[in-house]
Amino acid sequence: MTLHIVSKSPYSSSALTDCASSCAEGDAIVLIEDAVYGAVETYPEITERAPVYCLQSDAEARGIVIGKNVEGIDETRWVTLCTEHNPIVSWFK
Amino acid sequence: MKFTLVIYGAPHASEGAATALRFARALLEAGHTLYRVFFYADGIHNGSALAAPPQDEQDLLGQWQQLQQAHQLDLVVCIAAAQRRGLLSESEATRLEKPAANLAEGFELAGLGQLAEATAASDRIVTFGG
Repeated sequence: MTLHIVSKSPYSSSALTDCASSCAEGDAIVLIEDAVYGAVETYPEITERAPVYCLQSDAEARGIVIGKNVEGIDETRWVTLCTEHNPIVSWFK
Repeated sequence: MKFTLVIYGAPHASEGAATALRFARALLEAGHTLYRVFFYADGIHNGSALAAPPQDEQDLLGQWQQLQQAHQLDLVVCIAAAQRRGLLSESEATRLEKPAANLAEGFELAGLGQLAEATAASDRIVTFGG
């Protein structure tokens, strides 16, 4: 069960869609930094594949309202998600 | 659980290093162990003692050093990536006959073997991109 960490905006990078297409059952996705722009409701094709979490502080810093299918988390919860999944894959290109 | 963090992002060029710092604090507060932080590629610039950001901006170097002192962290900078980008310890500056050294206190230069060893010794590896 992989934890995918995505850090690039879906408007400037294919990281989020690449990550979603490689998601297997039991995987989860965490959106951080500019990837929080993907945390809106307009991405059902991603939230249907895996549970999607979004770093609340990064969303607030950008004025993003997190969509209903995405769960806002703090850094502590992010660490916990890392302990619950292995390996951890970062998507930043 | 033992974590190792790998940082590719240079300070101020990407958020990676600042995010990694927040993640490091959170995992230490949760009682986990930070086995090693490995600064790679442009991430090596985090170890420059000469960084002088404006006072109203985040002082990443000072915060890494504070965390290093508080938790005796192993902050390792990739030596090959550092040499290419002009980040040298006193001994490397002498050996390469360069006019100055700029590796910050609390950081050390080492090879990729240290990353391989940390990968084997840690439960989780988390990479922070550039």
